[in-house]
Amino acid sequence: MIRLQNIEKVYRTDTVETLAINGISLDIAKGEFLSIMGPSGCGKSTLLNIMGLLDEPSKGSIKIADQDITRFSDQQLAKFRNQKLGFIFQSYHLINDLQVLDNVELPLLYRAGSAKERRELATEALAKVGLSNRIKHFPTQLSGGQRQRVAIARAIVGRPQIILADEPTGNLDSAMGNEIMDILINLNKNDGTTIVMVTHDENMAHKTHRLVRLFDGSQVQ
Amino acid sequence: MFKHLFKLIWNKRKQNFLFLSEILVSFMVIFAVFSLLVFYYLNYIKPNGIEYEKVWSIQYSNPLKTSNVDSLETFYENVRRTIKALPQVQELSFSVSNYPYSNSHSTTGFTYKGKELSPIDNYMIEDDYHKVLGMRLLSGRWFNKEDKIGKKRNVVINSTLKQAMFGDAEAVGAVVGADNEKETWKVIGVVADVKASGDFLPAGKGFYKRLDSGAFGWIGTILIKVSPDADAAFESRLHKLLARTIQNSNLEIQHLEDMRDSTNEDTIIPMIICITVAGFLIINVALGLFGVLWYNISQRRGEIGLRRALGATGSSVSFQLVSESLMLATLSIIVGSFFALQFPLLNVFNVPTAVYIIALLLSIAFIYLLVIFCSLYPGKQAAAIHPAIALHEE
Repeated sequence: MIRLQNIEKVYRTDTVETLAINGISLDIAKGEFLSIMGPSGCGKSTLLNIMGLLDEPSKGSIKIADQDITRFSDQQLAKFRNQKLGFIFQSYHLINDLQVLDNVELPLLYRAGSAKERRELATEALAKVGLSNRIKHFPTQLSGGQRQRVAIARAIVGRPQIILADEPTGNLDSAMGNEIMDILINLNKNDGTTIVMVTHDENMAHKTHRLVRLFDGSQVQ
Repeated sequence: MFKHLFKLIWNKRKQNFLFLSEILVSFMVIFAVFSLLVFYYLNYIKPNGIEYEKVWSIQYSNPLKTSNVDSLETFYENVRRTIKALPQVQELSFSVSNYPYSNSHSTTGFTYKGKELSPIDNYMIEDDYHKVLGMRLLSGRWFNKEDKIGKKRNVVINSTLKQAMFGDAEAVGAVVGADNEKETWKVIGVVADVKASGDFLPAGKGFYKRLDSGAFGWIGTILIKVSPDADAAFESRLHKLLARTIQNSNLEIQHLEDMRDSTNEDTIIPMIICITVAGFLIINVALGLFGVLWYNISQRRGEIGLRRALGATGSSVSFQLVSESLMLATLSIIVGSFFALQFPLLNVFNVPTAVYIIALLLSIAFIYLLVIFCSLYPGKQAAAIHPAIALHEE
């Protein structure tokens, strides 16, 4: 589903050159649940951003869902992200001025479809994460775990093939974290969604199919 | 997307209050300025109603001690013949002081079928007045010698008064009342409007009465139409001739062309000051909008990064920000238009409705252009935000 070949990412300033990712090659199969671990600054999030087409590698090639996206235009990348990828972030990234339902509808605004369809899909996604009774709430009225569930609903509303989760349980206590993890496992098991998750938590990582460890931008396991 | 954006700005209405207020105040100021400009422009494009070139006014003070009408008439007939004898003088008419561009007004009221109209400019003139000024007769006739001996008091009205008093009906032959119906006047003609207060102001309602011989005791203006070859040397000769003819009088010769320029300046200078002040205000508003939008973007980097991650292109992010600004502007414009529409509805300042409507449309277009102009660059900057960096910052 995702094939990274010899990916390198270098951040350059006038005086400093930082090698964030150093020649990583990775194959992630369809329906796989992969976790990436490593100490802070080892390049986990950078690697996830490259997989999510939010950042460009300095070197190497990326194939996602059998498409070589290396030469995609901004418009093609946006469409690809919208249709194939779902994102979950540690700090949720919900828009506080929009109700839960409107937050979940966001990815659907960038594709064709009626308002009624959007509403139905968003309601369905919220039901999947057990938040049907919170659709009119604003994010600030929800707990951390509920906010992350909204973010998951937003990630799955467009029925993407891949979900990229950047420390989805990082801001939550263990009970809430387990709840979120259960939702992700169910999505992977029931819907066959490929999930790549960056985490610091060994327990969470061991719940996934495969664990990749990074150190100083290189894959060590 | 429209509904989504509306929801977003509505939910953020408190944060957007400053932006909304700024646009509302600017809209009202722009509306006022445009109302003024449109009013002046619509008047400007209307014909003057007179040919002011080579028309001179001679102001004099009556030096005669006698109040005998016949003596006065004889004296001023002599003055008339003396001036008319000059080959450069083509036409001549005595007049009261409120001739075009004189900044002098004499007004009264008329009644017709119970309808009272005032103020109406009251011009007292002679039979050749319309020839001196090249006035255009629309219907009926101008005054002639018969009016001097006739028993009925006749009046010539202008087009604006005709429209206000008679509408599309025939005015010639109608009898109108004046001075609480104590006097009656018969309308014998309708002339084209004369913009006596300058090119930028409306003609207003006006009528012309024939001067009778008794008026020579108090009037002090002679209007003459001179030939194209009448130059400064001729003016000097004329002044000397008049000084000899009307001895012990204060004499002043003015050109209507100069008087028109001076009258127009009285309108143009405040207009320029007004535009300049409004211009500075607009520059301030534009800078303010720019700042507010810039600040908004810096506050919303995370949201912009998120939208990019969820499928928005750079251009759709830019479009969203410009659209949000336009929607906010629309809210202010709706409120502003409500206030602006009260002006034509309540007939404020007695200005034609068309002036306010045109000014309103121009103000709306101007505000939208201003908002687009001020939001394009911040929108472009927003489009350039790198999603990975923006999401990481959050």
